[in-house]
Amino acid sequence: MTDEAVAVAIEVDDLGVRFRRNRRGRRSIKDMFADASRRSRPGEFWALRDVSFRVDAGESIGVVGKNGQGKSTLLKLVAGVLLPDEGSVRVHAGVAPLIELTGGFVGDLTVRENVRLTAGLHGMSAAEVAARYDEIIAFAELEQFQDAPYKHLSNGMKVRLAFSVVSQLDEPILLVDEVLAVGDRAFRAKCYQRIDELLAEGRTLFFVSHNEKDLRRFCRRGLYIRDHQLVADGPIDEIISQYNADNPIP
Amino acid sequence: MSGRRSARGRYLHSLWLLSARDLRVRYATSWLGYLWSILDPLVMSLIYWFVFTQVFDRTVGATPYIVFLLSALLPWVWFNSTVTDFTRAFTKDARLVRSTSIPRSIWVNRIILSKGIEFLLATPVLAAFAVFSGATVGWGILLFPLGVLLQTALLVGIGLLIAPLCVLFTDLERTTRLILRALFYASPVIYALDDLPGAFATVGAFNPLAGVFVLYRTGFFPDQWDPYAVLISVLITVALLVVGAFSFRRLERPLLKEL
Repeated sequence: MTDEAVAVAIEVDDLGVRFRRNRRGRRSIKDMFADASRRSRPGEFWALRDVSFRVDAGESIGVVGKNGQGKSTLLKLVAGVLLPDEGSVRVHAGVAPLIELTGGFVGDLTVRENVRLTAGLHGMSAAEVAARYDEIIAFAELEQFQDAPYKHLSNGMKVRLAFSVVSQLDEPILLVDEVLAVGDRAFRAKCYQRIDELLAEGRTLFFVSHNEKDLRRFCRRGLYIRDHQLVADGPIDEIISQYNADNPIP
Repeated sequence: MSGRRSARGRYLHSLWLLSARDLRVRYATSWLGYLWSILDPLVMSLIYWFVFTQVFDRTVGATPYIVFLLSALLPWVWFNSTVTDFTRAFTKDARLVRSTSIPRSIWVNRIILSKGIEFLLATPVLAAFAVFSGATVGWGILLFPLGVLLQTALLVGIGLLIAPLCVLFTDLERTTRLILRALFYASPVIYALDDLPGAFATVGAFNPLAGVFVLYRTGFFPDQWDPYAVLISVLITVALLVVGAFSFRRLERPLLKEL
């Protein structure tokens, strides 16, 4: 990215994605090959519809909304691991996805092998992995376990390692989905610090969380998703108060 | 687009990493390691060799029969294990598929590559038996790499077609296993294509594996050369690639929602 003031990092236009309501819904082969727009079946619902927004490079955006309203779906669409049925998502820079963090790790391989593989799968070259390996291990505090099989690590260690690898990715856009809810307090503080550093370097952050404190801490702008639609887009404080007004604590 | 590495470069790098991972897991978890990838075809070959040369009077295939068997059994094991794994291509690593945006065909191709490497590692067994049984090797051995190429293309076509379907229709996993079992006897592995009586030979040529096995066998048995079988196999492969690419694009979207 050049320093031409604002470059657009993420463009989302009229985005819509549809799911089946029950897993057992009948589905014929013919149906699946039919054009997506020509189908509208009673058993399906729009998980997101008519969502449009733009994110400039360097912005930090928090997504707010109740469970099951489409927040994580939106994140997956931006990450490119889900494809829209309508509209488009254009992401103009590399993405470091902090979702399904421990997904790429293999139980039978050692920590060392796992770091190489996972970092490589997320786009790091072998040379980069070698250069950052020590840092990754140090951040995860796993110096003693480098040659232990991954399956022997505790759950906390696994998440530490995964966060450590993905947060070392040199991608301009960071997608974070609730991962900060895990780990002990000390490590969480470290994660926060790491994200602060990344933001200070000018990364773009796309953040999904229920935690008001986290949202206010990292984000400037908020998107409010209600009933599978984008209902508000503005400064994070306003968005959070709107959300709280809609969902009073009984 | 971090600029450091092209999309294609990243794809190939990831493909290599995933295949290497598969092999490493395989070899890290069992001390027999490499032996496993040759043991299966070896035991099967010895059984068929025993049954067809010691028990029955063999009227099919060619001599030395063990080389005749192995030259199609090793590729068959590659084919069989790859197609079996296609049925779980996406579900086995669902979490990884859900968290990385690498072009989705990689989950098919990585299986072909890692099983293909195991196949190549097993070929010295064939060479050893060829030497010890006194088989002659002709110019046709140059067709062997073409066999590898054709089989790879065939597997890509089949994988693009069935891997997404297996996620969407769970029955298909069992169906595939059943079809594979039938296909083993319907393919010229323990016999040659021209051993089939009458109309079956014509029908049998439409099995794309027939042409693939011809390419593997011609080096040891020049009279196995059958350009029509190869041509049909190439045409079916191309057709499968086209259909597979088309259906994969169509099914990618519903597939990702199911994971």
